[in-house]
Amino acid sequence: MSEERVIRALLDAFPTAVTDYKKLKAGVIRARIERRELYRCCQFLRERLGFEHVSMISAVEYDDRFEIVYHITCYGSCLLLELITQTPKDDPSVDSVSSIWGGANWQERESYDLMGIKFNNHPKLERILLPSDYLYHPLRKDFKG
Amino acid sequence: MKSGEGKPSVGQVMVFRSKDFLKWADGVTEGILKKSPIGGGIDLLTRDFFNWATRNSIYPLHFGIMCCALEMAVASASRFDAQRFGVIYRSTPRQCDVLLVNGPITKKFQPDIRRLYDQMPSPKWVIAMGECAISGGPFYDSYSVVPGVDQFIPVDIYIPGCPARPEALLDGFIKLQRLIKENKRGLLTGK
Amino acid sequence: MWINMGPQHPMTHGLWNLRIKVDGETIVDAEPEVGYLHRGIEKLCENRTYTQIIPLADRLCYASSLTWSHLYCLTVEDLMGLEVPERAEYIRVAAIEMQRIASHLMWLAAYAADLGTLVGFIYAMRDREVFIDLLQALSGSRLTYNFPRIGGVAHDVPPNFERDSLRACTYMEKKLDEYERLFEGSKVFMMRNEGVGILKKELAMNLGVTGPPLRASGVKYDLRKDQPYSVYPELDFQPISLPDGDCYARYKVRMDEMRESCKIIRQAVQKMPKGKWRIVAPRNGPVGTGIGRVEDPRGEGMMYIVGNGTPKPYRLKIRSPIFVTVSAAKQMLVGYKVADVVAIMGGLDMCIGETDR
Repeated sequence: MSEERVIRALLDAFPTAVTDYKKLKAGVIRARIERRELYRCCQFLRERLGFEHVSMISAVEYDDRFEIVYHITCYGSCLLLELITQTPKDDPSVDSVSSIWGGANWQERESYDLMGIKFNNHPKLERILLPSDYLYHPLRKDFKG
Repeated sequence: MKSGEGKPSVGQVMVFRSKDFLKWADGVTEGILKKSPIGGGIDLLTRDFFNWATRNSIYPLHFGIMCCALEMAVASASRFDAQRFGVIYRSTPRQCDVLLVNGPITKKFQPDIRRLYDQMPSPKWVIAMGECAISGGPFYDSYSVVPGVDQFIPVDIYIPGCPARPEALLDGFIKLQRLIKENKRGLLTGK
Repeated sequence: MWINMGPQHPMTHGLWNLRIKVDGETIVDAEPEVGYLHRGIEKLCENRTYTQIIPLADRLCYASSLTWSHLYCLTVEDLMGLEVPERAEYIRVAAIEMQRIASHLMWLAAYAADLGTLVGFIYAMRDREVFIDLLQALSGSRLTYNFPRIGGVAHDVPPNFERDSLRACTYMEKKLDEYERLFEGSKVFMMRNEGVGILKKELAMNLGVTGPPLRASGVKYDLRKDQPYSVYPELDFQPISLPDGDCYARYKVRMDEMRESCKIIRQAVQKMPKGKWRIVAPRNGPVGTGIGRVEDPRGEGMMYIVGNGTPKPYRLKIRSPIFVTVSAAKQMLVGYKVADVVAIMGGLDMCIGETDR
């Protein structure tokens, strides 16, 4: 399965939600998706296109938005998909994908702990690295240690 | 005769409850050993011997935090043998003399390490190994690292290095032996 | 009844807490607790220049520190679009494979000591010193090397490096045969490892397990072969994979990986071309993003960096393989006895520095 086939399949399934797609280098694709279609897109990736493993879930804070970047791997075709979704600054919440990929469970807890992103329908959204009574989210830009 | 009622006369038996017996026995031994010249005499004879035994059998706690812990493990392997100095690692703090702190202490872990220190019986010493334990190391300006273990635990020996080489750790143990030798105390009277 | 194993526990090799719920001797539930070594490295990186982060990246996983500083340099070179000279790539590969052997030997020493064969601890530490001496001659330090730079490596190889590396590889291959006889001839070792801690293939892929535990469950995926980086496409080696998924398979995968690493070191030091070993990187990072992915001795390590035109990065995100593998502990532990915890969790080769960052 080549990179172009993955992009074509994503565009066919989600024609309005997928934007800004391109092939970054051999084996790496980037695409942006809207927040409301994220869960269905991840289900589609796992069940139809065979992306079995979510490598990394990162959260980045910009001046006007939060971006949540999913790096998803396909073992069979040796591909890496960088899927970016964004949320407004006053409502940093997305749907949790931990029911699709179990490996996303702790990574989402870490993003909640350090950056304050809320994942809807997560089985146990608690602090994991910092003490459970800690009050702040340290990776935010307005936290000055 | 009931407990605590004056001295027994010849032919009578002393009857005590167990707690009072312990208090009476403590008072007798304290009188003989600690306050009278007999205790001082025993100490004078045995102080050097017990001090020699203490400083040649330092038992640190089997406790590794970060990179310096790997160098601590290497120091107990066959190339830099630590057992020739009498150093054997024990798993529980109740059996140890030395707490070897070898990494940065985070705010989440600070109460636990204080608890480990309190669980050790005295006489006890603390060695701060590596830059992270001395002053926070490369993480000195982090929001979750305590800058130095001597903020809440009294430290006797500092071993610099990032990570401290195994030879430096062995040198630290030798310095601790010298420190113990200089502060000789009798076991009974504490002088 | 919930039992706490840790944070101070002679088995756990690091500062983490494993809470297990037992019914008699059988484990019914398990919940690992991490975070006792969280130093906030991702926040610290936003306050340091690109070159000042290299020693911080070393201290992420201190048992295999060259891999992490190399991963960081790969990520920044992807962000800046730099092309590293070929001699530097070969030096990096030779050093990384030596670091891989040293890391696997450290795992073997701790694993053998926990399972009762203290002679394995002494032998593995002795052989690890051979590779640590080579790395010390190369970079100047025993444990956290600070050797890769953005655009190459810090300095050239010392004299006689090729002769010493080839000698070390021959020595190691003989010793690996001796280790196999030692461990597999021990009935207690085999009983404690065979059939214990089985993780099935689909579960391993879904739960995000990577590295030797994944390859021991039947998935033949090695980043050095399947999504290669650096000069790995030009080197000849095989990824190792076994179908069983138990502790013995994880042990065997690591032993065979050490053999393959010896092969790679031989090829790398003999094929090393002449030339420059470093190019000068720009001081300011461009606006954009970069990704780096490597095959760490413990799994798939990954970094994502966002630059904003200043000498300091805007955001650095680090993916730690053990952070995700440990979250699969529950599936591996349930149904076995308390005495099997040592073999199962030891077989994952945990390094808490990278888990907690």
